[in-house]
Amino acid sequence: MTPLRDVWRSIVRRDPLSTDKGKSELVFLNLWLHIHPAKVKRENFKLKHTWYLGFITFYLFLILVTTGVALMFYYRPDAPQSYQDMKDLQFVVYLGSFLRNMHRWSAHGMVICVFLHMCRVFYTGSYKAPRQFNWVIGVFLFLLTLGLSFTGYLLPWDQLAFWAITVGSNIGGYAPLVGPRLKELLLGGHAVGESALLRFYVLHVAVLPSTMILLTMVHFWRVRKDGGLSRPVWKLKPAAAGPLVRIGAPAPAEAALVVVPASQDKTYGLMEVVTGKPIFETVTAEEEEDTVFSYPYAFFREAIALMATVTSVMAISLFWQAPLEELANPAKTPNPAKAPWYFLGLQELVSHSALLGGVVVPALAVLGLLAIPYLDTNPSRRPADRKWAIRAFTLFVVVNVVLIIIGTLFRGPGWALVPPWVHVSGAE
Amino acid sequence: MKRRSWLGWGTAGLVALWSAVGVSLGAVVRFLTPSVFYEPPQSFKIGNPADFSFGPPTFLAEEKIFVFRDREKGFAVASAVCTHLGCTVGYFQDDQRFHCPCHGSVFAGDGAVQHGPAPRPLEWFEVTLARDGQLRVDKDHVVPAAYRLMV
Repeated sequence: MTPLRDVWRSIVRRDPLSTDKGKSELVFLNLWLHIHPAKVKRENFKLKHTWYLGFITFYLFLILVTTGVALMFYYRPDAPQSYQDMKDLQFVVYLGSFLRNMHRWSAHGMVICVFLHMCRVFYTGSYKAPRQFNWVIGVFLFLLTLGLSFTGYLLPWDQLAFWAITVGSNIGGYAPLVGPRLKELLLGGHAVGESALLRFYVLHVAVLPSTMILLTMVHFWRVRKDGGLSRPVWKLKPAAAGPLVRIGAPAPAEAALVVVPASQDKTYGLMEVVTGKPIFETVTAEEEEDTVFSYPYAFFREAIALMATVTSVMAISLFWQAPLEELANPAKTPNPAKAPWYFLGLQELVSHSALLGGVVVPALAVLGLLAIPYLDTNPSRRPADRKWAIRAFTLFVVVNVVLIIIGTLFRGPGWALVPPWVHVSGAE
Repeated sequence: MKRRSWLGWGTAGLVALWSAVGVSLGAVVRFLTPSVFYEPPQSFKIGNPADFSFGPPTFLAEEKIFVFRDREKGFAVASAVCTHLGCTVGYFQDDQRFHCPCHGSVFAGDGAVQHGPAPRPLEWFEVTLARDGQLRVDKDHVVPAAYRLMV
C-alpha cells in the first residue's frame, strides 16, 4: 500500500484531519478552499444574520453555468432555427426541458437572491467602512445579473424574446448622445434580427459570464480582506461606551498606562508596529475563543445550503415548465406585451415616459445605490442609530416591489389598468 | 541616462501608451459596427395601385406599414412602428385610430399622439409611382401627414 499512499500524499500535502494543524492545512493548502479562513467566528453561522443569501446566489450561478453549457450543445443562435432548437429541447432532447427549466428558474431565483442579499447587507449595515467598495462591486454584480437575464431571454426567439428586445433596445436608444449609437452596436443593425440574436448570444455565453466570474472573485476576495463577514448587529455594543484607544493615537492625559508585569519564563520581542487605524472590527479575547475550524463546521453548513438550493431548483423544474411563446413575429406585437416580472417595474416606469422612466430614473437609482456607502458616513451599524438610512432604503425597496406588482398583476391589454380579478376577453 | 532625457522619454512613452489605448478602443467600437447591413431596403415596391382597396387601410406585415387609399384623396402610407419603443401598432376601424399594445399609446387617424407615452406622431412615408406602374414606398423620406399620391 505504500505506493498508493505516496500518490495520495503527493496530491494532498497536509496532516491528518484529526489534528488542528491538518484542519488548518486543509483550508490554506487547497486552491478551492483557501478562500475560507481556517477558523470562523461561530456567530457568523447564525441563519438570521445572513440567511446564507450570498452562498445561495453563488450556487444558483453555478447551476446556471452548468445547465447553460449543457443547453449550448443543442442550441444554434440563428433565427428562426433557434426556436426549432428550443422545441427540440422541450420535446426531443433527453432531459432537455428539465435542464431548460432549471436554467430558467435558477435565473429567476438569482435575481431574487441577489436583491435580497443586497437588502440583507444594507439592513445589517455591512457596507460601512471598510467594506464600502465591496458594496459597489455588489451593485455591479446585480446589474450583471439583470444583463444576463435580459440577454438570456432573447435566445429562444419567441414572441416574448422578440418584443422584449425591441422595447429594451429602444429604451437604450433614448440615452442622451450615445443612444442611437448604442442601439446600433447592441443590435448590429437597425431592427431586431439575426445579427442582434448573435450579439446577444455572445454577450450571454461569453462576455457577461466571464465578467461575472471575475467580479465574483474580487467580491469574495474583498470579503476576506475587509475582515470577513460583518458581525451580527445584535452583537454590536452601543457606541461611546468608553474612550476608544487607537494605536498611534495620543493617549488622553488622565489615562494611566497599564503595566503588565513581564513573565519570567517568556522571551519578549517587538515584532512589528503598524501605524494607522485597524481596519478590522476589534475582537476581544473572550470573543476570539468563540471561533471554530472551517472544517467541518463552515463546510458542513455550506454543503447543506448547496444541497437545499440544488434540490429546490430541481423540484421546481420537475413541476413547472419554463414558458415558451409562439415563434417571433415582427409584424404582430402580443397584447399586452410584458417583459419578465423583474423588468415589469421598469416597464411600468417606461409606460409613463421612455426618457424619464427608462433612462433617467434607472440611472439615478443605480448611482444612488453605488453612492450609499459614501453618502452614509454614520459609522454605527446598530439599527437604532440609523433610522433614516433604513427608512430611505425601505422606501426604495417598497417602490420597486409595488411597481413590479402593478406591472405584473394590474396591467391588461394596451397597458390599461385592469385589476387581476377582472377577466378581459380577447386578451392574448 | 540623464534625468531630463529620462523624463522626456518617459512622458513620450506614456503619451504613446494612452494614445494606443484610445485608438484600440476606437477600433473596437468600429469593429462592432457592421460595415454592411444585410437588411431589407428602405425603398421598395408594394404592388399596383389596383391591388389596394378603398376603406380600411391595408397592413403590410413585412414592411410594417399601413397603406391608405381614399377615393378623393389618393394614397398615403403610415408607419406601423410606435414612436415610443418600437412595438407594432394596430389600426382600429371603429374609432379610426392607431393603438399600441405595449404601453397604451393612441394615435389619431393622422398619426398625432392623443394618449399615452409616445413622444412623436406616427411617421408618414413618401409614396410615388414607379416607372413600371407599381407604388414605391421610401422609408427614408418622411412626409407630412397631409401628403397624398393621386393615381
